[in-house]
Amino acid sequence: MFKLLKNIAGRKNKLKPGQSKNTLAKQNCQKKQSVSAHIDENIDLMKEIYQIPHNRDVKIRELKIGGLSKKAAIFFISSITDVQSVEESAIKPLLANTRGDAGIDEIIATQNVTAFLDIKDLVENINQGNAVIFLDGSTKAFVFECANFQGRSVEKAESEVLIKGSKEALTEKVIVNLSLIRKRIKNEDLIAESMTISKRSHNVVYILYIRNLADEKLVANVKKRLASLNVDAIQNLSLLEQYIEDRRLSLFPSLLYTERPDRATSFLEDGHIVLLMDNSPDSIVLPATFWSFFHTAEEHYLRFIFGNFVRVIRMVAMFITIFISAIYISVTTFHTEMIPADLLLAIAGTREKVPFPIFFEILIMEVAFELIREAGLRVPNPMGPTIGIVGALILGQAAVEANIISPIVIIVVALSGLTSFTISDISLNFALRVIRFLFILSAGVFGIYGMSALFIMGLFYLVSLKSFGVPYLAPMSPHYVSSGDTIFRRVITHENFRPGYLKPADIKKKGDGAAK
Amino acid sequence: MNRQRRVIKLCVVISLAMMLTGCWDLTGLDEKVFVIGIGLDKADEKGKINITYLIANAEMGSTMGGGTNEKSSMTITVRASDFISMKNIANSVISREISYDLLRLILVSEELAKDEEFIRFIYSAIKDREVKRTVHLLVSKEKAEDFFKINKPLFLSRPHKYYVNMLRRANEVGLIPESRLHYFLRITEADANLFLAAYTTTSIKKTEDEFRADENDAIAGDMRVEGETNNSQFLGAAVFLEGKMIGTLTGVENRMALMINDTTEVSDVLSVFPDPANKDYQISVRIKKTKNTRVNMDLHGKTPKIHVTLPIILDVLTDPAMNSPVESKKELEKIRKGMEKYMEGRVKELVQRTQQEFKAEPFGWSLYGRKEFKTLKEYKEFDWMKTYPDMKVDIDVSIRFGKFGEQPKTPSYKEIRD
Amino acid sequence: MKQSEGKIGIRELIAIILLSVGTKLTDDTPSILFSTANNSSWMSMLLIGIMSIIPVFFLLKVFSVHRGKNLHEVNIHLFGKVVGNIISFGVLLYGFAALVLDSATYADIISTMYFTKTPFLPIYLLLLIVCGYGAKRGIEQIGATAWLTLFYLKITLFLAFLISFLQGEFKMIYPLWGPGVGEIVKTAGRNLSIFADFYYLGLIAPLVSTYKSFKKGTLLAYLIVAIELVIPLIIFVMVFDFTSIEIMKYPYHEMILYISIGFLTNVETIFLPFWLIATFIRFAFYLYLVVLLFGGIFKIKEFEYLIPVMVVLVLFAGLAPQYGVFTISHLRELLLTSLSPIFFGLPCLMLFIAKVKGDFKNESSKESY
Repeated sequence: MFKLLKNIAGRKNKLKPGQSKNTLAKQNCQKKQSVSAHIDENIDLMKEIYQIPHNRDVKIRELKIGGLSKKAAIFFISSITDVQSVEESAIKPLLANTRGDAGIDEIIATQNVTAFLDIKDLVENINQGNAVIFLDGSTKAFVFECANFQGRSVEKAESEVLIKGSKEALTEKVIVNLSLIRKRIKNEDLIAESMTISKRSHNVVYILYIRNLADEKLVANVKKRLASLNVDAIQNLSLLEQYIEDRRLSLFPSLLYTERPDRATSFLEDGHIVLLMDNSPDSIVLPATFWSFFHTAEEHYLRFIFGNFVRVIRMVAMFITIFISAIYISVTTFHTEMIPADLLLAIAGTREKVPFPIFFEILIMEVAFELIREAGLRVPNPMGPTIGIVGALILGQAAVEANIISPIVIIVVALSGLTSFTISDISLNFALRVIRFLFILSAGVFGIYGMSALFIMGLFYLVSLKSFGVPYLAPMSPHYVSSGDTIFRRVITHENFRPGYLKPADIKKKGDGAAK
Repeated sequence: MNRQRRVIKLCVVISLAMMLTGCWDLTGLDEKVFVIGIGLDKADEKGKINITYLIANAEMGSTMGGGTNEKSSMTITVRASDFISMKNIANSVISREISYDLLRLILVSEELAKDEEFIRFIYSAIKDREVKRTVHLLVSKEKAEDFFKINKPLFLSRPHKYYVNMLRRANEVGLIPESRLHYFLRITEADANLFLAAYTTTSIKKTEDEFRADENDAIAGDMRVEGETNNSQFLGAAVFLEGKMIGTLTGVENRMALMINDTTEVSDVLSVFPDPANKDYQISVRIKKTKNTRVNMDLHGKTPKIHVTLPIILDVLTDPAMNSPVESKKELEKIRKGMEKYMEGRVKELVQRTQQEFKAEPFGWSLYGRKEFKTLKEYKEFDWMKTYPDMKVDIDVSIRFGKFGEQPKTPSYKEIRD
Repeated sequence: MKQSEGKIGIRELIAIILLSVGTKLTDDTPSILFSTANNSSWMSMLLIGIMSIIPVFFLLKVFSVHRGKNLHEVNIHLFGKVVGNIISFGVLLYGFAALVLDSATYADIISTMYFTKTPFLPIYLLLLIVCGYGAKRGIEQIGATAWLTLFYLKITLFLAFLISFLQGEFKMIYPLWGPGVGEIVKTAGRNLSIFADFYYLGLIAPLVSTYKSFKKGTLLAYLIVAIELVIPLIIFVMVFDFTSIEIMKYPYHEMILYISIGFLTNVETIFLPFWLIATFIRFAFYLYLVVLLFGGIFKIKEFEYLIPVMVVLVLFAGLAPQYGVFTISHLRELLLTSLSPIFFGLPCLMLFIAKVKGDFKNESSKESY
C-alpha cells in the first residue's frame, strides 16, 4: 500500500546500499585447512585466526608434556572456559605425566576428549568454550569440554507469577535450563538435539522432544525449518521466533513463549516440541494453539473448582478488556435505549460540560492509559508505585474536575486496562490491546453492528490460522480427541488424552485416580 | 497481478472509508433530550390533537458539578397531528433532538378518550420504533397538559421514577390496572373484551359535600386526602370498548376485576369487609389468590352459561369487635359464610354492571371461551362481544382462611372496659 | 489463496444447518405464514416439517450411491449433460434470488429496527463484505465458526423465547384450528421451500468427511430445526394475539423490543449481536454455495476468486427493490411459493431416475462406510 503511495508521489527509491563484501566467505576460506603435523604452523595459524595477542582473552599455554617430551599447545578463551578445570584437569596432569606411551586421552582428566582433524571444527569448539590441545607431530588435535559461560542464577519468574506452584524460571544458560527441565522429566527418551542456526554468530538452538510421544513428522518439519535459515546472527529466542513463525504480519502469535520450566515440561509431555537457546531466559513451545496462550499453569495446580473459577474470571476479564470500551461507545451513542433510565440521565447530565464526543474521550483515555502503562514498565524501581498512583488517581481525578472527561469514562477505561493484566502471556496481551482499539474504532463507526461485523471477521480469520499445521482453535473447532481442556478444565483424572492435533504416538495419558 | 492487487486494496479501503463519512445514527447523549410522558388532548381542529411533552432535566440530582436549582422537568404543549411529527415541530423551541427512549407513559384526557377518533391517534404509536409497546396508557379526568403542570410529586428528584413506581405499586395493590399499550392494542384488535386503563387526576374534590362516604367506592379525585403530600391520585379505571372510553370503574371494582382475570396479577391486596358481629366496624383482610379462577362454560345452549369459581385465601388481620372469633369454629364459619356472601354480592354487582352498562367484560373470559371453538371462523361467528350481555353468569367465591395476623387473639372488649 | 480441500465434520455440518435454517424464524418468514394460517401457523410448520422429510430422505438416498459427487455432478449424471446443466442453472438462479432477497430483507431489518437514520447502502455493503470475506475463507472456516458460536447463539435465542413465554398468555393459541384445516394445509404446501436449504446441502456433500456423518448430521439437524421452527410460532401468538400478528412484519424483533428483563427495560441490544452473528454466518454460507454451483456449472476450478464479483452483483441486485419495501416481501413470497413444488418434486424425480438407471444395483456390493 505504501509503495503505491510512494510511486504516486514520484519519490526515487533505491538508495545504493553500502559496500557489501562477503567477509564471511573470506573468513570461512581461511579456516578450510586441516591440522598440520608441525605444531609451529598450527600455532601461527591459530594466532592469525584469533589475532592473538590483540584478543586479550584468548590464551595459549605452550608446554612440554612430561614423559613424552613433546611440545604441546593448549588454546582456550579464558572468559568462557572454566579456567580452573583447564588447569587442574588438563595442564597439571600433562605436566606431571611420567609415562612415556600414554595417549592424550589417558592423561587429560576432563569429562570428554575428542579428536579433530580440521581447523574449522577446532575454531568452532574454541568458540563454544572448549579448549584445544595441539600435539607436535600429530595431525590430530584434541578438544576437551570445559565450557563455563557467565550468566544469571535461577531466579523467580517475573511475568508468569503463580501463588501455588514452582517459582523457578528459566535462565540465560542453556545448561541450567536443560537441568531444570530434566529435573521434571526423568526419562531417557527426552531428547535434546542441537542445531547451529546462524552463520556468523554460530548460535545454537536446542530442540527438545520426547521421542516416543512427539510426532516424527513434526520434529522433522521443525528441523527443516531451522536448517533452512540463512542468517548472520540470531541472538536469542525472541528473534528466532520472528524468523520461523508462520505469519509475520499477523496479529496473533503462532509460537508460545514461556519462562517457566514447568509449563514447558507439561507441553513436552503432551507431545509438543520445545526450543531452548543460550541468552534466552525462556523457551518456545510449538505448535501453539490459542488455548495454550489463554491457559496458565496455576489452573491445573489448583483444585478442580478453584481452577475453573479462575478460568471463568479470566474469560470474563478477557471479554471485558476487549469489549467494554467499545460497548460503552456504541451503547451511549447508537443504542441509548439500552441503558436504565437513571443511568441514562446521569450520563446525559455529566456530558453537558464535557467538550469531546464520547468516541474521542474514550480514545484519549485509552491512549493515556497505554502511555502510563508503558512508562510504568520503564520507570526505575524506587519511583514505580508513586507514578502509578499519581498517574491513575490524581490525573484522572483532576481531568474529571477540569471537565475534560466524564467520570464514567475513567471507570470504563480503568476496567478495560486492569482486566488486560489477567492475561499473562505477553503476545496475547499485546494482541488484545491492539484488538481493543480496533473494536473501539468499529463501534464508533457503526455501533453494535460494526462490532459484530469485526468480531465475525476476526473469528473467520482466527479459525483459518494454522501454527505448524495445527489449526489455531483446535481442539475446539476442528474436533480432535484431546484432554477436553479448552475453556473449562476437567477433573484431572478425566483428562485422559493427549491433544489429537499433534498426532502423538501414544494418545492415552493416564488412567483413573488413586484407588482409595 | 501486482497492479490488480493495488487496485483491489484501494477499492476496499475506499469503501471502508466511505462508511466513516457518515455515522448517521450517531448522536451524543448531550444532543438528546428525553421525554418521559406524552399527554394527548383534544384540539379544536379535526385531525389534530394537542400534544404535551413532559421532559426530564438530566442535570437534576447528578453529583458532579453540583445539583442545579432548576426544576426537575418541564412541559411543552404543541398542536400536531401525531406524536411522530411532533418531534421535529418541537425543535423550534427545544434545543436538542427529542428522544423517546425514556418514554414511560401516555396520558390521554378523558375528553379525547371518549372521542371516536382517538384510536387513529394512538395507532401512530406503533409506527415509531422508539415508542415501546410497554408504555403505560393513562386517562386523566382533566386535560393532560394541566395534569402535567399541576402534578408535583415530593421527595423525588427524577420524575420518571415517580411515575414508574406509582404505576407499579398502585397496580400491585389492585387500585389501578396495568394498562400497557401492548394490552390495549391486543385487546382492541381481538375485539372481545374491555380494556381497562389507569385513571388519574389532580383535581381533587375539596369541598365537604362532594366527598363520597366510603373510601371503598372511590375513584380518582374522590378520595379525601389531607396533608402536605403529592397532589395527584391514581385510583380506579377507565373502561375502553373498541378503542373508545365508555365509563369508569372505582378502585375496588377494578381490584375485583383484576382478581377475577387470570392474566393479571394482584399480589398485595388489603381490603375491608363489614364485620358480621358488629355492623359499624369493618374487618381488614389480606386477599391472596393462589389458584386460577375456574371458569366452566356451556356455550351450546340457547343461553350460554358461564360458571365462575374464584378461590381466595383470606388473612384476617384486624378484629374490631374484639371478641376473638379465632377461638370458636362456629364463629369462624359464620364470618366465612358472611364474607363469601358479601364478595359474591359485590362481584355479581360488577358483572351485572358490565353486562348492562358496558356490554362487554374485562375479565378475560373470552380466552376461556376460545377453547370451546375449533376454528377462528366459528369463534368470529359466535362474536363473543355481542353474546356476552345475554349470558347467564354464576359466581362462586370459595374462601379459605389463612393466617390471623401476628397475634390471633385480641383481648375482649368487655374485659378491658370493665 | 489456494482452494482448501478442507473437509468439515458432523459437528460443523449440524451447526451450519442449524444456523442457516434456524435464523429463518427471525425474519419475515413467520409473517408470511401468519398472513394465511393465523394463529395455527405452528401446525402448518409442523406439517411442513413432516412433509419435507420425504424429499430430504430421497436426496440422501441418491447421494448414498453417488458418494463423493456434489449436487451438480449428480444432476449431470442423472439427467444427462444438457438437461442436467439446465436444472443446475435453474437451481443456481433460485439460489441467487434467495440470497439477494434474504440479504436485502435482513439489511432492511437492521435498517428499520436498529439504525433508523442510516441509509440502506452502508448497512448492506458491510453485511456483504463480511459475508464475502467469510465465504472466501472457505467452507471449513464457515463450519468452524458456526460450531464455535452455535452454543451461545442458541442459548440467547432460548432465553429470549423463555422470557417471552413467561410474559405471554397461553390461551391465545385457541381456537386451535385457526382458519380451518384446509387453510393450514394450503399454507403448508405453499411454503414447503422453507426447508429447501437441505436441497442445497447436496452441494457440499462431498466436503463432509464421510457419507455417514453427512447422513446422520443432516437428519439430526433436520429434527432439531423442525422443532426449533415450530415453537417460536407458538410463542409469537402467545405474546401478540392473532390479529396483531398478521400486520406485524418482523415478529421476532418486535418481540425482543417488547420483553424486559428485571430492571433492564430495553434488552434488544443484548440480543442484537448474537442475531447478527447468525446472519453473517448464514449469508457467508449461501454465498459460498452460490459461487460453488456457479463454478461447477461453468467449470471454474478456482471459484473463490468469483466471490468479490458475486458480492457486487448481489449488492446491486439487492439495492434495486429498495424503492418500495413491500416489493421485497412480495417477491419473497413469490419465490417461496414457486420453489416449493420444485423442492418437493425434484428429489423424487432424481430418485426415480437413479433407480431406473440402475444405480442401486451395485449398492449391496458397495462397502458401506
